[in-house]
Amino acid sequence: MLKLHNMYKVYSTDEVETVALNGVNLEIEQGDFVAIMGPSGCGKSTLLNIVGMLDNASEGDYFFFDENIAGYSESQRSEIRKQNVGFIFQNFNLIEELSVAENIELALLYHDMPSAERKKRVANVMDRMGIAHRAKHMPGQLSGGQQQRVAVARAVVGDQPLILADEPTGNLDSVHGQEVMELLRSLNKEGTTIVMVTHSPAHADYAHRTVNLFDGHIVTENTRAA
Amino acid sequence: MLWNNIIVALRNLRKNKAFAAINISGLAIGLTIYVFGGLLVEYENTHDRSFANVDRIYTIGGTAAPDLNVGVDKFNSTFMAVAPLIKAELTDIDAVARTRNNEYLLTMGPDSFYEGVRFADPELLTIFDFIYLHGDSTALDDPTGLLITETTAIKYFGRTDVIGEVVTFDNEFDFSITAVIEDPPLNSHFNSLIIADQGFGVVAPFRALNTLRDYDADVGDWNNLSLGDMTYVMLPESLDQAWLQTQANRIFDTLVPEDEGEALASFDVHPLSYANVAIWDMIGMPVISTIALLSMLVLLVACVNYTNLATAQSLGRTREVGMRKTMGATQTQLLTQFLVESLVIAAIAMVFAIAILEIIIPLFNNAANKNLTLDYVATMPWLLLTTALVGLFAGVYPAWLITKTNPIEALRDIARKGKKGSLVRSFMIGAQFAISAFMLAMVTIVFLQNEKVKEASYIFPRSEIYTLDRLNVEGISDRLETLRHELEALPNVDTVAYSSQVPYEQNNSQNSLTPVPGDEAANIIFMNMRMSPEFLDAYDIPLLEGRNLSRDITNDVRAEETESLNILINEMSAAKMGFDKPIDALNQRLYSTSEEATVREYVIVGVVPTQNIVGFFNEEKPWIFQYSPTSLRIGSVRITGGNMMDSVESIEDVWDRVIPDYPMQGSFLDETFDGVYNVLKYMNLALGIFAFVAMSLALIGLFGLAAFMATQRTKEIGVRKVLGASATQIARLLVWQFSTPVLWALLVALPGAYFATQGYLNFFADRIESPIPILIISGLLAVMLAWLTIAGHAIRIARSNPILALRYE
Repeated sequence: MLKLHNMYKVYSTDEVETVALNGVNLEIEQGDFVAIMGPSGCGKSTLLNIVGMLDNASEGDYFFFDENIAGYSESQRSEIRKQNVGFIFQNFNLIEELSVAENIELALLYHDMPSAERKKRVANVMDRMGIAHRAKHMPGQLSGGQQQRVAVARAVVGDQPLILADEPTGNLDSVHGQEVMELLRSLNKEGTTIVMVTHSPAHADYAHRTVNLFDGHIVTENTRAA
Repeated sequence: MLWNNIIVALRNLRKNKAFAAINISGLAIGLTIYVFGGLLVEYENTHDRSFANVDRIYTIGGTAAPDLNVGVDKFNSTFMAVAPLIKAELTDIDAVARTRNNEYLLTMGPDSFYEGVRFADPELLTIFDFIYLHGDSTALDDPTGLLITETTAIKYFGRTDVIGEVVTFDNEFDFSITAVIEDPPLNSHFNSLIIADQGFGVVAPFRALNTLRDYDADVGDWNNLSLGDMTYVMLPESLDQAWLQTQANRIFDTLVPEDEGEALASFDVHPLSYANVAIWDMIGMPVISTIALLSMLVLLVACVNYTNLATAQSLGRTREVGMRKTMGATQTQLLTQFLVESLVIAAIAMVFAIAILEIIIPLFNNAANKNLTLDYVATMPWLLLTTALVGLFAGVYPAWLITKTNPIEALRDIARKGKKGSLVRSFMIGAQFAISAFMLAMVTIVFLQNEKVKEASYIFPRSEIYTLDRLNVEGISDRLETLRHELEALPNVDTVAYSSQVPYEQNNSQNSLTPVPGDEAANIIFMNMRMSPEFLDAYDIPLLEGRNLSRDITNDVRAEETESLNILINEMSAAKMGFDKPIDALNQRLYSTSEEATVREYVIVGVVPTQNIVGFFNEEKPWIFQYSPTSLRIGSVRITGGNMMDSVESIEDVWDRVIPDYPMQGSFLDETFDGVYNVLKYMNLALGIFAFVAMSLALIGLFGLAAFMATQRTKEIGVRKVLGASATQIARLLVWQFSTPVLWALLVALPGAYFATQGYLNFFADRIESPIPILIISGLLAVMLAWLTIAGHAIRIARSNPILALRYE
């Protein structure tokens, strides 16, 4: 599905040059569930941002469904990202002024989709996530676990083939964190590719494969038995 | 998508009610002022639209000759001899008509009133399609016919069917009412000439002047240029203003007699719509365009206010923008979203503005006797366009700023809070304060100059003078001496004097005389006062040299056969004649070079100081004073001590005894002064309102911005306090954040105000001393207001518990 080849990402200021990714090579097949781990500052989030087309690499190739998108402009990346990638964040990033249903619908607003179709999809995904009874509530009225469910719903409502999760359980207690991980597992079983950054070895065990980063390099990759 | 954007906009307003209130109220105030100003300007510039031929009607005015020196540069009127020339020369035009105003004592039934009468050529009723209640447009064909308005008919007769009723002029000349018309609408120039009392209640045929004044209506005259004496020309559809101007230029160059019309440099043709606003051009005060400019400035301040606050508020939405970009929103879509939000706020503000206007407009109409309306059908496109432009203009910068957020930084919330766009914000604060401080400085200077005008007016004892007008009627003039003696016998009446004008009246009677016999090139233009000898005493005018005029000295009294007349002059006249000292002018002579003049020689017997008799914005001028018993229009009764109203009652009793057949037209000289002074006063009031609104908007914006930025700096303030900063130090930090742009603003505003007010001050002969100290004080006041506005917030934040601040973060 996606392949990073000899990828570098360098951040430069007037005085300092930081190499966030240092010749990374990574392949992810469709249907994979990959966990990315490593100490703070090792380049996990940078890697996720590039995979999610939020940022461009300084050097190297990025093949997404066999199309080399390295060097694409923001608008080109945005178009591909919109169709193919859903995001889940540690701090949920729900919009306070929108209700649960509206937050989920937001992911479809920028597609050319009729309103009726959008509403139907939103209703379906809320049922799947078990949050239909909270459709008209505002984010401030939900618990952390419920908010993350909404975020997951938003990430999947567009049927994107790839979900990127950046420490999705970081702000949750263990119970809710496990609930979210079960959700991700079930999505993966349905065929969604998931790439997840996590600090938690327990949560990394949900993935088929763990990639360990250190100082911008991939140092180890562990594959679990199916 | 659009509906979603509107919902988000409304919910954001609900979430931040305080900032929403500040934003909406600021824009609403700005829009109210702008729309009101626009309506007023449109109203003043589009008078007379009710007349069917309005687009074909033009007026003939003129530009003053450079040496005329009467306080105006332009006239909206011309000599009464011009219309006959136009009629004879321009056979292609549809019609030409003159109007001229004079006051007469009109007797209708048992009642007599002094009334302004408009004398008009019959063609006036062809040019203007008045609505006739009775009679028709032939009403002025009969030289003894009269056309009156509905209000006049009801005032005098209690009804409108008064065709055939007799009206007597000056107890002598009978006219018969031949038509009654509906009153011209309020937004017609017939109702709007403000300086002289130019009502349109009674219209008589121009030809009637032949009988009333021994006048030749067919020829007219080259003697008088009075405000409101109009010449109208109606053109066929095929001809235009440019053609008429060309013809007017030709007539001026070739047909105006060489020694006539010296007062003008040219004829000027204007569309009829100009007649209403001509007065401002005449005195060189662009009032209408100033109103338009100030309205726009206030709206600009309101928009800048909104932009500043919206920019600051948008910093709190970076995460939302980052999320939307992550989900595929393009910058265009995000720009659209934020512009829609801005348009929603502008629309809400416009609704409030319209509601405010619905209250203000009737109050204004009542106070100013106007008929301003908010015609929704006609103005809706303009209101919608204004709303859209304000929403877009005010919202485009914050929308652009927030939508160029990097989604990665936004989602990690690592955008530099408060720093984004801070330079532009400071510039906008500075711009708002520059405009507000500019207006505040101007208001202060104009106010002080007006006070100076008032103070300067006290060279004459105006609070002690009661005037009696319209004495130059044949039936009254031979009883003036009796009247004077009887009045002077009253207790508290000090002196009674007669004259052709009194101080502060904007009359400009002139005489052109030369100190060298026969030498026209040496002519000096003098202002001409005809007065009785008591005038100097009545007005405390001292004699510098020589003696006063006396009715006992033959050559002091101008009579029909007088060829050599004794006069007084003022110091400026002596200087113009070349005398360094006033005493050197005594017994010197001035000569008339006009062949029609009866008095050929004027002998100077006394010199008085140079005083600004006309006052206000007129310069001091050279005057001559002569005693001409038949040209005394107005009496001045100097009352000292006692109760003024009791004295006036006594004066009325004396009048009724001496001149029972004419009504007394009395008023205090203060009223004459106020009649012109109030124009200056109300202009400054209007300017003050604009300045107050602009400054209020700037302070409201500053208040909101200070509150918001303080919120942005909560963590920093908490950390500083933990490290030992005092409340005073914190407060100073917050106050200083906003002081720099305010101080920079003053560096721009105050010099700007200085140059702008120089234009205004140059109108006046008596001016305030250097306005620089006033400007500095105005600037300091603006800074103090800004500090007071910010200080409240700053002190509250500075006193808060730092732990709460850090926990919040």
